[in-house]
Order: sequence, then structure tokens, then C-alpha cells
Amino acid sequence: MTGWRLSGAELTRWLEDLLRGGTRVIAPVDEDGRRVFKAVDDPARVCLASGKTRWSPKEFVFPKTEALFSYAVQADGVTLRAASVDAAEQVLFGVRPCDAAGLARLDATFLGGEIDPLYARRRDLTTVVSLGCAEAEPECFCTAVGGSPGGEEGSDLQLLPAGEGWLVRPLTPKGERLAASLSTWAAKASDEEWEQARASVRRVEESIRHSAVAREWASILEASFDSPVWEALGRRCLGCSICTYVCPSCSCFDVNDNGTASCGERCRSWDSCTFALFTRQASGHNPRPTQASRYRQRVLHKFAYYPQRYEGRFMCVGCGRCVAMCPVGMDIQEAVRMAVEAPRGSGDAGR
Amino acid sequence: MPEHGDAAAVAQPAVGAREWQPVIAAVLCHWCTYAGADMAGTTRRVYPATVRPLRVPCTGRIDPLLIVKAFESGADGVLVSGCHPGDCHYVQGNMVARRRFTALRALMEFVGLDPRRLHFAWVSASEGVKWSQVVAEATAAVREAGPFQGWGTLGEPRRPAVRLPEVPAPPRGAPRIEDQQAVAAHLQRLAATLLDEGQVSVVIGYAAGSLDGQMVPTFVERSEDASKLAWSDRCVNNLAVYLPAFRRQEAKVALVVKKCDARAVVGLLQEAQVSRKRVVLIGVSCPGVADNKGTLALKCYACDGEVPSLCDWTVTPAGAQQGAHPSGAARAVTDDPRDAQVTYLASLPPEDRRAYWQAQFAECLRCYGCRAVCPMCYCAVCVAEQNRPQWVPTTIDAKGNLTWNVTRAIHLAGRCGGCDECARVCPADVRLDLLNHRVAMEVEQRFGYRTGEDPSVAPPLDTFRPDDPQEFIR
Repeated sequence: MTGWRLSGAELTRWLEDLLRGGTRVIAPVDEDGRRVFKAVDDPARVCLASGKTRWSPKEFVFPKTEALFSYAVQADGVTLRAASVDAAEQVLFGVRPCDAAGLARLDATFLGGEIDPLYARRRDLTTVVSLGCAEAEPECFCTAVGGSPGGEEGSDLQLLPAGEGWLVRPLTPKGERLAASLSTWAAKASDEEWEQARASVRRVEESIRHSAVAREWASILEASFDSPVWEALGRRCLGCSICTYVCPSCSCFDVNDNGTASCGERCRSWDSCTFALFTRQASGHNPRPTQASRYRQRVLHKFAYYPQRYEGRFMCVGCGRCVAMCPVGMDIQEAVRMAVEAPRGSGDAGR
Repeated sequence: MPEHGDAAAVAQPAVGAREWQPVIAAVLCHWCTYAGADMAGTTRRVYPATVRPLRVPCTGRIDPLLIVKAFESGADGVLVSGCHPGDCHYVQGNMVARRRFTALRALMEFVGLDPRRLHFAWVSASEGVKWSQVVAEATAAVREAGPFQGWGTLGEPRRPAVRLPEVPAPPRGAPRIEDQQAVAAHLQRLAATLLDEGQVSVVIGYAAGSLDGQMVPTFVERSEDASKLAWSDRCVNNLAVYLPAFRRQEAKVALVVKKCDARAVVGLLQEAQVSRKRVVLIGVSCPGVADNKGTLALKCYACDGEVPSLCDWTVTPAGAQQGAHPSGAARAVTDDPRDAQVTYLASLPPEDRRAYWQAQFAECLRCYGCRAVCPMCYCAVCVAEQNRPQWVPTTIDAKGNLTWNVTRAIHLAGRCGGCDECARVCPADVRLDLLNHRVAMEVEQRFGYRTGEDPSVAPPLDTFRPDDPQEFIR
């Protein structure tokens, strides 16, 4: 087993080296009582303690708002200028395995078919260092959707807690490049150390007591389309977008011109299937007219449509943020179970 | 993100300009000031060419958003002018507007707008001379304040050394668990009775959520489900948010309310969003609820938690009684910590205040959680969803976030009951409660009005008194 063992001080040294080398390091920091991902210039600000950030680091590859191109209307015609990604090489450091997996799910959306050039560029420039969890939070359910507190999906480099220090190993060529400097000074980790670290990951796994969501449920869920269960669930949903914006795998956006008739930018900004405006058409017709139909869309997209399209993986990584942060405590797992157990509708109604 | 505001295009400096000239958006009533400005022209009065007049039928028509948009679009200043009180073509439009301006002015200053940029005046059709003076004065003030860079070009927010006053220890200890269980049992029995007797078709209350200790809203329609109803200091939601959905239904609804929630019900009654006959209010004597960290929520410090007189039922650990019955044993209350925090922020120099709010708004995700949980945000189509034209920018950046947050707060002026649900659910911890509180303080101070107390009076910004203070209006 390759990889190194780092003490806290050595981890700081590694981060200092990266920062000195001009790499943009984005890591969890505690700021005014909340943990958020921020670009840091001082390793002392990085917080790798238990717990997760308020929202996932997806904004660093899929910004909340970004320009697609700019336009200027002049006497001699219209000038269009493609937006360029001015991002530097960046390291997302200390990303929880669920969030790293979330980035992989976004990859499927943005790169799986037609390639989104802006996303692709940012993703190319990004190296993900995932951070295994030393304990689970009450809302965590990664193990129920195929993940693990020591999961590797989406990470280029894995960091696992080991006593007072850390074990680190590259998982991809990108990760190897990032860890290159370690081989010159860091201590090699032994197989026993890795085994111990994995054993503690297993203990965390066992502490997450949620039964698995089955992939086979995708078609059952789809058949629940007309079930009254959605009305009962959707009644409570207030139609904000906290669940989708804090979600590591939600990828919807809205395209909007930001400017005047003479000049401006075409931008895309995060958008959410939970908003009434999301599907409202220019005619005024809304194919998802009720909050229940919008909530259903969110659940079915994650647990029925996406798995059918992308190799059975869910568009949910079990971080549990939507459960913890929903203003009215909607629980997506509970919704899935209720829909699966509910009596079926005819199932043939169009989406 | 570069700025492409409307007025930015208008604000191109003239080639070879000698000195910087501010651009002032002047929102003028058609009947008085617009004619007064005409009068200034026909009588050859000379005044600075800094104003861009926007004609509206009446100052009463001026949505605060027009003023916000002017700044967002790059104006250095805004001048609002209409008929003198008593002269309004529509009798009272300007006097209603005056109240609105009072609240807006307070809010804009609170978020750090330099007060030299926002001007109000009464100029009649015959006051060409006054118009030229008003423009000259406003221009001098805006020029002194310099080019406006507050909106849209905020960049990476500077974190000011703003330290909000420490919140003192809660005035009372944690509520007793056995009391909470007793309340839950009484609620269950009462709900079952109301449903069985057909008095209501649904009871909206709280039930245990899927996380430990979490309480979530629940709809109980059958008496056998009444046992779901629960009560604890984690019953944070303001369930009044669900009432407007029943607006067009015949069904009678029973709603479990705390004192703070009842204020919103009062607001909904005032605005005819709910019929009193169709709602049965179950008031729970509230020992205070927990905030996200588990300590007493700020809104509870100054609240005695008594069941308000509006309620049809009173539930206490001792039982459920018909009617509103204050326990009389008023619980310990202290000063509202939000007062101290607002006062502190208001005492800072505008620059620091602006930096504070910039940093706050920079984190806003525009999830509209604040809107969703707000019982008073019941509009079928929110202004943020008006996209022809796009009133509130959809871009999740400094410009869009500031416009949204200011618009939300001003739309709640004189309406917000202070339940602080918006601040509770905000993923970015934006202190929306302080924005609302600042406006509420202004409304109380100026108009002697406290929100959420008497459903029979008009909301303060829907009405006026001829002698409302207007010292800020030229």
C-alpha cells in the first residue's frame, strides 16, 4: 500500500508548500460559527475536525453564477465574446467522501454526454483531496446510498484520520502529482496503519444506521408517479431551494441575460426544481403545477431517473444536508420509502 | 462581474467633461412635481443637469423597488418628489407614500447607504423655483458623497471588525420535559375532539421529525392520527405559513400557535388572507424555543409566551381550555437582544455598516428559504419571479443578493411579526432578523405601531395620519 503518514504539523507543511507553489487551496474553515469552503492563504485556518460544511464545495466547479458569454450591440453589428475561465489550478482540500462523490455525480451530468466546456475547464484545474470521517453526524446516510465515510469516488487523493495524524494516498494521476513532494520527506505509512484507519472507517460506517436504498426501486418509484403519497408529502414542502442548493449533486441552472439591450452577459445561475418558476412556460402553463409535483420531481430525479441513466448510481450521496437543513424537516429517504411502500398508481402518466 | 446597468449606460461621462457630474434618478409624480419641473424650465430657471426624471402617476405608486433599482442600475442618487400633503390628485397617495419612504429610508441607511444619496421633496406644479433649489441641493449632497459604488461592484467583501453585542444569558432555564409532554397530551386530545366533532377538517401542528429531537409541521386529518402531535422547545416553525393555502377552501383549519406565530395570523387577518371563521387557533403557552444552537432564540428573550387573546383555545401543561387565558404568572423577560444589536449596527459609520451587510449578503445563496418560511410572503407570484422585466436579478452575486434582501425586508415593513423564521432557516446565517427588526423599530417609533396585535386595524403602511413625521422631506 503506498501512501504516507503525516502529523498535524506535517500536514500544515504540505499545505504551506502547495500555497507557496501558487496552488489555490480551498478548504473548510470555521467562520462566524459556520463551516464553509473558502480559499485559504493560511493553513491554520483549515478545519478538518468532525462535521461537514454548510454546503458542498460544488460552487468551485459549478459557480452559483457564471457568465457564458458577453454581448455588445454596436452600429456595425453584435460582438459576442466567449467567457473564459480565469480559474487557476485549485485543490479542494478536506472534502468529505460524500461531497467528493457528489462531484463525480456532477461529472456525469456535465461531462457524461455533451461536454460542458466551462465545467470541464474548471474540473480539469481541480484536484480533490477527500477527508475520511472520524464520526458520522445524525443526518448522515451515505452508506444507505452506496457511499462510505472512507469512500474514494470522486477523490484524487485520500486523507484518512489516523490517531493524532493522517494517512494520505493518491488515487489518480492528478493526486500523484499533488502528492509528489511528499515522497521526498514524508514517512511511508505501513499496511497496519492503513488497516487500522480502515477499521475505524468501518466503525463509522456501522454507526450510520440507515437501511439501504435499493437500486431496483427505481422502476417502483417511477410507477409511484400518480400515487397520493406525493400530495401528502408535498403539502409540507414550502418550495424554497435549500435542499437543492446545499446538495452536492444537484446541477440545475437557469440562463438569464444580465445587462441591457446594448451590452451585457448571458449568465447561468443555480436554479431549483422546487421553484414554481422552474418549469413555468412562456405561455403561463406549468407542467409541474403543484409543490407536490415539484417535490416528486426532486425525489424521482435522484432515485429513479438518474440511476436508470447513469449506471445505477443515485443522484444522492447521503450527506443528509437536505434533511438537516430543510425548514420543515422533509426527509428524502423517508419520502423514497413512503413512495416505494405506497399503493401504485397507473404509472403510465407522462413525466 | 462587470456592471451593465441601465443607468450605467446613461451615466457615460460627457467627452471632455470638466468635473464628475452625479446621475440622480428623479422619480416624480405626474401631477405636481413633473409639472413643477416643467415650470422651472418654462420660467428659465437654471439648475444642474443631473436629474433623470422618471414620471409616475403618483408617489403612492412608487414601489420601493423603483428606488432600489435606480441604485442597482448605477444612479449616484435618487430624488423622489410629489405633491404636498393635501394636494394629492388621488387625495392621499402621497401620505401613504410618506410612510413607505420613512421605512425605506431607515432600511437603506441601515444597510449602509450614505443618506446623502436619497432625497425626498414635495414640489407643487407652481414651485418651479423650489424644484430648481431641490435639485441643486440634492446634487450638492450627492456630489459630496461621490460616485456610487455600493451596488454591483462590491467585489470580495471586506470583513469589518463588527462585533455585535454579546447576547446575555437567557432569562429562563430550559423548559421542563414533563411540562412538554403534558402539553403534547392535551394537544392530542383537543385535536382528536375537534376532528371527531367535525369542528375542523385538519389540525396543523408539530410532530417528531426524523432527526433526534427535531419537530416538524404535520397535518392531522383523522382523530386516530392525533397521537402524532408533539410539543417541545424545538417546535420552531411558524405554522401560519400554511394558512394562505386554505384561502379558497371551505375547510376549517385548526392551527397550533405560539405567541410569535399568532402575530403572523393577525397580519394575515389584517390583509384578508385568511378568514377568522375558518381558523381555530390553538394557543400554546410557550416557554421559549431553541435556536439552531440549542439556546433560547433571541426572539424569546422579551416575550412572555402567553397565549394571545386572539386564540380560541389555550393549552398549558395544566390542560386545554376554551378561550384565551393568559396564565398571569408572566414569565421572566429581559430586553430584546435584537434591540441592542440593531442599535449597535446603526451606530457604526455607514461604511462599516455597508461592509457588514456586504459580507452577509455575499453568502446568500438565493434559495428563497426566507421567503418560503415567511407567513407574510404569501404572494402567488413573488416580485423575484417577475421576469418580464426581471425586477430582481437572478444572478447570485452582490448585485442580485442586495436587491433581493433589501426588497424582501421592505416588503415586510409594518407586516413582519418578528418570528425570525427567515433567519433561522438561512443556510448562510444572514441576519435577516436584524433587517426586519430595524424596520419594525422605525415603524414603532414613527407610527406608534406594533405588528401583530390587533387584527381590526389597518397595517401601518396601508394607512397614514396627516401629521405623520416628515422632517426628512424637503
